[in-house]
Amino acid sequence: MKKRLLAGLLAAAMTFGLVACGGSGSKPESTQADSSEDLVEVHVIAAQYGQNTAEWWSNFVGDFEKDNPGIHLDVEVVSWNDIYTVVNTRIANGEAPDVLNIDVFADYQADNLLLPIQDVVSEETYAKMFPAFLEQSEVDGTVWAVPDLASARALYYNKDIFEKAGIEVPTTWDELTAACEALKKYDANIYPWGIDMTTDEGQAAFAYYTWNNGGGFVDADGNWTINSDANVEAVKYAVDLVNKGYTNSDPANDTRYDLQDMFGAGQLAMVIAPNSLPTYCKDGGYEVNYGVAAIPNNTGASVSAGVMDRFMCFDNEYDDAKKEAITKFFDYFYDDARYSDWVLMEGFLPATQAGAEAMVAADPEQASWIEILDSCQFYPTAKAEWADVKQGVIDVEQQALLGGDVKELLDNLQNELQ
Amino acid sequence: MNKKFMRKVNPYLWIAPSVILMAIFIVIPIFMVFRMSISDISKAGIIKGFAGMGNFQKVMGTPAFKIVLRNTIVWTIFVVGLSTLLGFILALMLNSKFKGRKIARAIIVFPWATTLVVQASAWKFIIDTDYGTLNSLLRTLGIIQANVNWTPTAGAYFAWEIACGIFVTIPFVCFTVLAGLQSIDQSYYEAAELDGAGYFKTLFKITVPLVTPQLTISTVLNIIYVFNSFPIIWTITKGDPANRTDTIVTYLYKLAFYNGKQGQAAAVSVIGFLILLICASLYMISVLRKGDE
Repeated sequence: MKKRLLAGLLAAAMTFGLVACGGSGSKPESTQADSSEDLVEVHVIAAQYGQNTAEWWSNFVGDFEKDNPGIHLDVEVVSWNDIYTVVNTRIANGEAPDVLNIDVFADYQADNLLLPIQDVVSEETYAKMFPAFLEQSEVDGTVWAVPDLASARALYYNKDIFEKAGIEVPTTWDELTAACEALKKYDANIYPWGIDMTTDEGQAAFAYYTWNNGGGFVDADGNWTINSDANVEAVKYAVDLVNKGYTNSDPANDTRYDLQDMFGAGQLAMVIAPNSLPTYCKDGGYEVNYGVAAIPNNTGASVSAGVMDRFMCFDNEYDDAKKEAITKFFDYFYDDARYSDWVLMEGFLPATQAGAEAMVAADPEQASWIEILDSCQFYPTAKAEWADVKQGVIDVEQQALLGGDVKELLDNLQNELQ
Repeated sequence: MNKKFMRKVNPYLWIAPSVILMAIFIVIPIFMVFRMSISDISKAGIIKGFAGMGNFQKVMGTPAFKIVLRNTIVWTIFVVGLSTLLGFILALMLNSKFKGRKIARAIIVFPWATTLVVQASAWKFIIDTDYGTLNSLLRTLGIIQANVNWTPTAGAYFAWEIACGIFVTIPFVCFTVLAGLQSIDQSYYEAAELDGAGYFKTLFKITVPLVTPQLTISTVLNIIYVFNSFPIIWTITKGDPANRTDTIVTYLYKLAFYNGKQGQAAAVSVIGFLILLICASLYMISVLRKGDE
């Protein structure tokens, strides 16, 4: 009797399994059919930048639907922790959003999931963007995404500590080493320099040191140059700072936010951080007397690291009405006043000329950031191997911290890419 | 006839809902993971074709996987072994009569009743070199002058994670064993006392054999839970530095959602599933055999 029961159970389980599988496979068609009612529905997945993002979007939806009757806008705000999982699951189930706001696009483009962005963004809106930003989303001569905002990095230093210790802000690597030594002598309880080589953002450290040593991820033709001599020297220099005891004690686990907290609390004298650091410190209740300077370099010219997020449009076989609705969405979003509001909301940097002007008008101190943004380099996110490189250089850094040979590690990573 | 038919069908009707739920939430996902593990999957998550054993070969060929496998075994053995031992001792203590026993029992539930992420965050906060409460406490007491780095190496981090794992697993063992202890007939102990048996003889000849079923259940369940445990390691180190504190579960999460290698992640998942299946079956078989003897 028991056996028969078990057999029955198994059979039932398998049958249901098959039935349900069949169901999930045919689902996409049914969702397509829903949109053919009189209301045109546009589905957007947007990244949650901070506390205000969800509210900003909810106001946006209200205004948009009021001004555009006939379009139903559905904006889903998803946290950075979950957004990749959410988007990938939707895509795998054939339920890709119409518009996606995220940082990377190359993986989706490589799978032919995206529409060229100029198919859905009006010429007028497209012309507003900084051309250097649009180039970052170009693959095979086509631009696949438009920037929604940017942030740039610079060196922040604690003015009080520097004054008391009587040292100048370093501009070169030699000066940086000397400054660290002097700070260490001044107060052994303060960390002179902050380094983040964590899984969170270790690729940023790689960029700060290699770019400022004449190296980097790719050469001028866009070929990977991970194991260049300049890169080997740069990673060695960074790891050396850790080994000499000039940095936070645990670079493989102290994230950028840990460093920002330490900087705010006056425990860290120098840190490379984004332009949003002052807001971060203020929100955290820290009162720190800080100064901003260029990232120290070894070549004579400092390079800042830029980070940019994007909007992209998935190819869900739209009819003209839907395409028009998506175009209206972009026009509405990049409307000068609304766009300035968007950028100012979380303290980011604008990706359009009008946004930049509005920002400087609101706060003249921001002008220097717009300049930095103009000269900074970006991660090669348009390349399909970027995810491997990003995790790869973090692994190299962490292996190097454990005593691995930098040259050998970078050689291995470079070989994996070829 | 109809009555007879109904009687036959009746039990199946009753278990149908749970079978359906199990099929939807357990069988289908397992099937999908197996399918992913032998598929070629793009970074955006689309199945591009059949990969055969390719994903498994790639995973096995990575040096990191050996470290991860070793970590997983160390993690599971230490957390399950030590928490079972300590949980058992604690259960014995809680079973004896003393003042405030009820309060003590309630306190022991706390670590279990708190979410693992909260627990792990609290531990991370305690052992942190720069703002950790352990350092503050020791400094206030005058035991140390400067901050101590409690996690100077990856091994030290892993040891702290194991400690945290043990701490949150003890209550489960403790309460399962306690339930067993309370069901033991006192007359056994009275008889043993009359025969002149000492404390340890009573413990090993009466108590342990009689709570074996409870210990078996808690150990099997713990092996599964601990092997699959994600939040503690993810919250404290994310498997860093360089996979030195990764277990199979954190490693496959990174593979899938940081590296975009979902096929390989599924392969790791299948390997983990098979290891667990073998371990749990071996354990169950050996215990069931002993029970029959």
